[in-house]
Amino acid sequence: MNILVLIKQVPDTEAKIVVSGGKVQEAGIKWIISPYDEIALEEAIRIKEKTGGTVTAISVGDDLVQQSIRTAYAMGADHGIHIKHDQYQMLDAFAIASAIAKAIEGRDFQVVLAGRQGSDSDNGQVPLILGTLKGWGVVSFAKKVEIDSQKATVHVEAEGGEAIYESTLPVIITANAGLNEPRYPSLKGIMASKKKPIEVINFADLGLGTVSRIEILGFEPPPPRPQGRFIDGADPAAKAKELARALREEIKVI
Amino acid sequence: MHPSLIFDMDLYHPKPEHKELRELVGTLGQDLLEKAARHYDEQENFNEELLRDFGRKYSLFGLTVPLEMGGHGLDATAEVIVHEELSMYDPAFTLSYLAHEVLFVNNLYHSGQDTLRQKYIPPALKGEFLCAMAMSEPQAGTDVLGMKTMAQKRGNLYILNGTKQWITNAECADAFLLYARSGPNRKDISAFVIERRFKGLRIGKKEAKMGMRQSPTCQLILEDCEVPEENLIGRENEALLHMMRNLEIERLALAAMALGIARRSLKEMITYAQQREAFGKKIYEFGQIQHLIAESYARYRASRALVYETALCVNPQERQSLSAAAAKLSATQMAEFVSRSAIQVLGGNGYTRDYPVERLHRDAILLSIGGGTNEAMQKNIMKDLVQLENLDI
Repeated sequence: MNILVLIKQVPDTEAKIVVSGGKVQEAGIKWIISPYDEIALEEAIRIKEKTGGTVTAISVGDDLVQQSIRTAYAMGADHGIHIKHDQYQMLDAFAIASAIAKAIEGRDFQVVLAGRQGSDSDNGQVPLILGTLKGWGVVSFAKKVEIDSQKATVHVEAEGGEAIYESTLPVIITANAGLNEPRYPSLKGIMASKKKPIEVINFADLGLGTVSRIEILGFEPPPPRPQGRFIDGADPAAKAKELARALREEIKVI
Repeated sequence: MHPSLIFDMDLYHPKPEHKELRELVGTLGQDLLEKAARHYDEQENFNEELLRDFGRKYSLFGLTVPLEMGGHGLDATAEVIVHEELSMYDPAFTLSYLAHEVLFVNNLYHSGQDTLRQKYIPPALKGEFLCAMAMSEPQAGTDVLGMKTMAQKRGNLYILNGTKQWITNAECADAFLLYARSGPNRKDISAFVIERRFKGLRIGKKEAKMGMRQSPTCQLILEDCEVPEENLIGRENEALLHMMRNLEIERLALAAMALGIARRSLKEMITYAQQREAFGKKIYEFGQIQHLIAESYARYRASRALVYETALCVNPQERQSLSAAAAKLSATQMAEFVSRSAIQVLGGNGYTRDYPVERLHRDAILLSIGGGTNEAMQKNIMKDLVQLENLDI
């Protein structure tokens, strides 16, 4: 079973995001594999450990994303493909899915695993578009995955219960939280990951031209939160009265 | 910019691997040690499975063992990084890590012949064998050459008799690196690998300790203990050299633990001083609190530089007893001062077990005693200083 995992490199969930000049300032940011993608990667490695085969991690971005591919190696991925694009911030989901579809042409993957969405932009579109481009089925939000040589059985949380989907292969599955607990890499894994080659494909060489359908005009930070206000009053009753007055007369919400 | 980065030389991470190692171990410490540290301290119970996982899952044993033998081919700096990071979260667990990784694995690899290495290093690296070292005795601590445990050759066995004291990990260890007297002269010391299953070995009482309570410390009792002759490490009566050599990296690792304790204590008191108010001000605005925190920070930074500088030159090929003793003396006293200051800054809260600083302080005190007391360090430093020829200090 050969499995492809879509990896997005994102700022650490605790990183402080600074926006200036219409761009996210990347200096000083610690980069990680998007947490849902890490769950997808873990699932792929577990399937490989059970049934054999290979795990390939693929990522689109500038040279920095090789760091996440190396982390994937340290966890247990066998191959890594880096689709290199220095202005990757300006690519939309369609462009990224198109590049992945093109890059894996002629390669034999039965299962594609990805996170349900990136933890930075929360779009959750790339796996769906990739499924459309390749004509493969997509099952989203998996909380349990079983794969045999013919089909995939995917359990998904549903209103008040769970839905169970069966799909022929190849199939694209997106991982929800709770599917598994990703492992920590071992020191051996980290050391070995540094020596493994990464296959680099230039985005420009894929012959897609200008493929983005959405133009990103710029990034802006959210407006700073206004300071909180304390309601003064001699006792609770007076404070309540003052609060009601402020809500009615100043903020006009009641 | 951090001062250590100015000259394109990072004292704390001389190689890129050191940075990755610190990151991995820091994550493991935060995720796997932090939450449970108080529980294991209060229960006086050892998280043995996690220590075995450090071999089985995370391959964190054998840092100084060459790649051919399944280790990582790293150095003393790597040991310092791991001990420093883990001690931020749980010094007691770290002490048990030290007993296995430094006192047994590093020691046996650098002192043992190939047959013994082949037999014991691979299972120790995988966590299948959890290990320990036995040197002290009830009547021989600092005066280590006063040890009374005797090893006598009988046929193809050595027969050992005596009692060993303060043996970290003894409760659960599968194998011990043990020193015993093997001849009439004071320096006739030999070392052996003794498996738990060997006839005549008994684990004695578990000590009830002030700190380091997760880490189990017991006596070892040898009553006509039968040890196959091939388990003699190196040659008979020649263990003193590798005992002294291993003490250097042990002292460095203990000093690194002191750094971890101090760093954590500093983080706790700096955070607290910015939140807690008194007399209408944050308490860090008071000179007395500034004194405690600033003194702690300055001493921590000085010891940290000394420990990492020493780590650059500690290796199996050369002796660095003077620097290793100075690093341990400096860092352990510093950690006692800094953790005590943290309790003072946190006031009543610092004295409760709801905050980690009282535990860190109890743990810190062991570091001034184990691996050679601070008084032994002072004695060693003086001995080395008077032997320096041109006083190039």
